[in-house]
Amino acid sequence: MKKSRKPVFFIVFVFILALAYTSIFGIYGENGDFTITYIKGINDIRWGIDIKGGVEAVFAPADGVDASDAEMEAVKSILDLRLVSQNVTDYEIYPDYTNDRITVRFPWKSDETNYNPDEAIQELAATAELTFRAGTEQTGDVILTGKNVKRAYTSYIQTDNSGTRQHVVNLEFDDEGIKSFAAATATAAANQSQISIWMDDELISAPSVSKEIPDGNCYISGGGSEGFSAAEAAKLANTINAGALPFSLKVESYGTISPSLGSFALEAMGIAAIVAFCLIFTFMVIMYRLPGFIAFIALLGQMAIAIMAVSGYFPAFPSFTMTIPGIAGLILSIGMGVDANIITAERIKDELWTGKTLDGCITNGTKGSFAAIFDGNITVIIVAVILILVFGPANILSAIFGVSTTGLIYAFGYTLLVGVIANFIMGVGASRLMLRSVSSIKFLRNKRLYGGKKS
Amino acid sequence: MRQKFHIDFVKNSKIFFCISLGIMLVSLVLNIFVFPTQVDIQFTGGTIIKYSYGGDIKSEDIEKTVNDTIKGMESLKNDTITFAYSDNLAADASKQNNHIVSLQFTGNKAVSVEDKKAITTALQTTYSDNNFTEASSSSVDASKGTNFFFKCLVAVILAAVLMIFYVAIRFRKIGGLSAGVMAVVALVHDLIIVYFTFAMFRMPLNDNFIAVVLMILGYSLNDTIVIYDRIRENRRKAGPKTPTGEIVNASLNQCLVRTICTSITTIVAIGSVLVVSLIYNIDSIVSFALPMMIGLISGSYSSLCIAAPLWVMWKNHKDKKKAEARKNADASKGSKKSAKSKEAKASDKA
Repeated sequence: MKKSRKPVFFIVFVFILALAYTSIFGIYGENGDFTITYIKGINDIRWGIDIKGGVEAVFAPADGVDASDAEMEAVKSILDLRLVSQNVTDYEIYPDYTNDRITVRFPWKSDETNYNPDEAIQELAATAELTFRAGTEQTGDVILTGKNVKRAYTSYIQTDNSGTRQHVVNLEFDDEGIKSFAAATATAAANQSQISIWMDDELISAPSVSKEIPDGNCYISGGGSEGFSAAEAAKLANTINAGALPFSLKVESYGTISPSLGSFALEAMGIAAIVAFCLIFTFMVIMYRLPGFIAFIALLGQMAIAIMAVSGYFPAFPSFTMTIPGIAGLILSIGMGVDANIITAERIKDELWTGKTLDGCITNGTKGSFAAIFDGNITVIIVAVILILVFGPANILSAIFGVSTTGLIYAFGYTLLVGVIANFIMGVGASRLMLRSVSSIKFLRNKRLYGGKKS
Repeated sequence: MRQKFHIDFVKNSKIFFCISLGIMLVSLVLNIFVFPTQVDIQFTGGTIIKYSYGGDIKSEDIEKTVNDTIKGMESLKNDTITFAYSDNLAADASKQNNHIVSLQFTGNKAVSVEDKKAITTALQTTYSDNNFTEASSSSVDASKGTNFFFKCLVAVILAAVLMIFYVAIRFRKIGGLSAGVMAVVALVHDLIIVYFTFAMFRMPLNDNFIAVVLMILGYSLNDTIVIYDRIRENRRKAGPKTPTGEIVNASLNQCLVRTICTSITTIVAIGSVLVVSLIYNIDSIVSFALPMMIGLISGSYSSLCIAAPLWVMWKNHKDKKKAEARKNADASKGSKKSAKSKEAKASDKA
């Protein structure tokens, strides 16, 4: 046995502890009064509305209108706009173009005091009011409203003689709109003033008017030499189209959970997790002694990786919404992780009772157990991947059933997949490294520590 | 070999099958006559609103207020509401809002936000001292509900088919296809048990049901595969002459400690969740932890006592058939020969 193996255990051990600590508590710095998050901890996990409380609502066109994809796109952008203006930033929005449905889901803000789910939903579903006004104030005279706008669309054209091209938003009005727009632009051009476009009480654009536009043929450019980006232009066009929607929205279904009920459930789950960890630790150490202890460290590492994948520990991976099915997925992956170690420890025990040397037993035990662990985990990965594909953004069955109606099951698939991959890294990889390393330390070479009989 | 157990799973398989079938039969009878299955509004469509409130109000009063309110509504006036009362253990230390009333509307109809708001306002103004607050509400359109249910069903079937496929390839040395099918039979067994657990404890089938079904699917399958792996290994060691039953029995006994220990740790994890959520009285988590725990026990049991013995029966049946077929083939060859010779004789006569 190589001597260099000894430190491996301590390196892996310290690494896992560091990983567990940072993934749970995060790393924060202070800059004056602000807290800077360097690494996101468990408190930064975005909890689903089934745990933390919040609102879910499904909107559909009222009176059974069959909306076009462009119209649904417009509905989405109006909901986006309203959520942001309500200061809700961590919302999820899922348009379903096949069935003309839009699902919106958002949790209560942690400092929410004025808790009124009905109003929150109604505000979102309210008919959008688009107005063009003279000047840049909301009090300015109304020139025309959303019903005068036939459509808004983007194009990529030369706006001046410089030869560069810009993204612009073209507008098309109806006859009444053309007339009032011509009059308003004539006044505005004469006064060198602007015309502002409002969605409800939100200013979305305030283009300046260069000349009278008699035929209603106009575009809004971003100004400057850069102009709009393609995305900015599309967003503006969508928002204007939203104000010109020929139908109103109805709330097809909704769900609300109060914040107190939510935070309460979260606290209970935290307690349960700590109790479960202590019990598993005791059980593993009594049953399997040293390998049991190592299995527990590996389990800690596995949990840390799973938490990291959910909390957005690495900035490159966005944080994930954690729901009750998500927790079920984690529990299953922990079960699989413990199982991998139990299978190995049992094998080593069996080998030890045949009277072989410790090193031989560990080699045979880890080798013999691998196929079972591998097959078990791969089949579970198959299940997880199917769920992610069916209920996640890929939506492979959307042709039959429409776009995902719930994100809850997607969460199960995601945490399960992450958990099982973490199990391969920790429960299979790291725990074997540690076991081999520990078995090369002299005072830990007693077979009894591995479940063998008294020597 | 350190082998502590010598349980003859294969010989006793009929007993195990009877136990399982017995439990299912009793559950089915209870399910039909005593505890009918409740399906949550997530699948059927409908509306449930829960309010928390403080102080004591007579239930008749609350019901009267709500019924009077909906009588005035065009859309809800013909509906009836089922009321249910419980303690709100999520109430804070000041014991404000220590009661919960839940309103379920019949007719699987989605109640509009406006109507809900009217009911909330009516309750809040009538009982202004009792601080009526909406604890949770849920309203689902019927078509969306059934759509979701079928999507879940298709996903589960798709996963099952792929798993059979994987097992068939990985375990082809021991006849993988039949092994895969038996693993799925064990899965179905566990899912039926989970279903009956929901029915027995009068928990409606909902999101949690799907989560539990998926979790048990993964767990039961892993359990079965670990056992198949042992069978594969032992078959390799023992060679093709050893009877299938003997190999499976040895494998099951070798895996027994592992199966029990894994079950204990997983059950301990779920059990902690269950106990804490029972103490705190969080229905949504109880209705997920309890069936999961029962499903776990069933999952371990079915891998040991259903999947493997069933597979042995299938194998033996097949071997017998093969042997018979060989015998028949030999016999028919023999009879053909004799027929030919008879013909030959006949032609001789002519």
